[in-house]
Amino acid sequence: MIDFWIILTASLVATTTAILGCFLIMRKMAMIGDAISHAVLPGIVIAYYLTNSRASFPILLGAAASGMVVTYLIQFFNQRVKLQQDASIGISYTFLFAIGIILISLFSNDVDLDQDCVLYGEIAYVPLDTLTLGGFNVGPRQVWILGTTLLIIAGSVFIGYRKLVLTTFDPAFAAAMGVSVVLWQYYLMAGVSLATVVSFESVGAVLVIAFLSGPAATAFLLTKDFKKMIYLAIGFGISASIIGYYMADWLAGSIAGAIATIIGVQFALAFIYIQFLRKSRISETLENKVLT
Amino acid sequence: MEPSVETHNLTVIYDKKPAIWNIDFTLPTGKIIGIMGPNGSGKSTLLKAIMGIIEPNIGYSKVFDKELDDVRTRVSYVPQRQSVDWDFPASVWDVVAMGRFATKGLFKRLSKEDNDIITESLAKVNMTPFTNRQISQLSGGQQQRVFLARALAQNADLYLMDEPFVGVDAATEQAIINLLKSMRDAGKTLLVVHHDLHTAQDYFEHMVLLNSRLVAEGPTDEVFTQEILTETYGGTLTTLSKVASALKEKDFPMRHK
Repeated sequence: MIDFWIILTASLVATTTAILGCFLIMRKMAMIGDAISHAVLPGIVIAYYLTNSRASFPILLGAAASGMVVTYLIQFFNQRVKLQQDASIGISYTFLFAIGIILISLFSNDVDLDQDCVLYGEIAYVPLDTLTLGGFNVGPRQVWILGTTLLIIAGSVFIGYRKLVLTTFDPAFAAAMGVSVVLWQYYLMAGVSLATVVSFESVGAVLVIAFLSGPAATAFLLTKDFKKMIYLAIGFGISASIIGYYMADWLAGSIAGAIATIIGVQFALAFIYIQFLRKSRISETLENKVLT
Repeated sequence: MEPSVETHNLTVIYDKKPAIWNIDFTLPTGKIIGIMGPNGSGKSTLLKAIMGIIEPNIGYSKVFDKELDDVRTRVSYVPQRQSVDWDFPASVWDVVAMGRFATKGLFKRLSKEDNDIITESLAKVNMTPFTNRQISQLSGGQQQRVFLARALAQNADLYLMDEPFVGVDAATEQAIINLLKSMRDAGKTLLVVHHDLHTAQDYFEHMVLLNSRLVAEGPTDEVFTQEILTETYGGTLTTLSKVASALKEKDFPMRHK
């Protein structure tokens, strides 16, 4: 049963982030997940310090607030200051993350938080923290939170699908049609903030980033249809969760590390596959030319 | 006659430097209108300001004598081909279908009528055989045709096109200009950013000559004069035309691109 809960937790995170990841990599913004997952630190520490409890809700609020701050900062540096997108991301999140680290060391006497738990999470502990409803044990609390998040993200993307695709592919045309490009940018970023913040508590920032960019990038290599790309990315994320879990079990190693490794292996295999496909296609056309 | 586009003191400033300055004109309907000017003269900026993609710092524009928001479905914008990532995973059909969302709203499903319009638009630009082709596999000329088909699918009355002839082969250029002429004959107004002086006179009946500020605007035979062109293009044109006339005198073979 523990196996099941851990794999389910990872798969829920994988599905949510794969959907968002497809939009992010097509907008050349995959690293925004990296930024948000680090930048939430000061918000978490402050919320933790103010409420002096590890209750999820205030921490979630604090994290969401600093997630939106970093999104705004990146947007501001990029559009108003005319700084390059990657430089804007780099300067904004390292700054906020550093503030978070200083806050942790300042409050370290009062606060039971450490940087490792933020960065790496601990997915193996997820099954221990269960939720009881009306006297029944209904499973790990995280699974419920992540499940709700998945429903919210999938629903929002479904509702805004056309506008999100339109503003991703051709923002100028979208704007000419009267679609607010900035509004949909924030819509997507709010989704990424929520998904990142909720996910990293259970799987850690590093795995969230791997989930956001890896499966989407692998899917991009294999299909030229955006909807299929989303489904494929979800498939890769879930299969990486399952294979990664059993690999970690077999090696007695870190689960998050094993899953992230599998994500990398999937990409490498997809890359080799398309190279092979391209070569055979070229030799095929050459043969045809020789024959005719 | 109802004016197609009118601008009043339209000014856009980037980084304290005006991209377009105090542009004031009223354009007729039912014509192919060229927007000409040297590089960096604000041609694209002018289109974007009219379409509300860029907020003007001063001034305003009107389309069909109304605010843009009231007539948006009657206006179609064709961005520069290079402004989008053609590696986006989509088919030719997917891109052209975006043209139907404008009149359709963004949630409703496409009806059979919409599908017919998309098919018809693809036929008009000779892209029917490529309907299911991935956009990443298209040549420059084919990409431009896809953009035009998307604009056709919008079924607008006014088309603003940003450099539709850049980087396309001669056959596509001819096909596009024929298409524009047939659209004009159907009563549409076309506002086309263009920079090739050789073809300008053949393509456009009306012109806007731009060099950050408005140099001239009017029917081609009135404004396409040596004097106005020199004013628009400044020194570069004088040098070029001197070389051209020198070559002509010596009967040197000149290559046209």
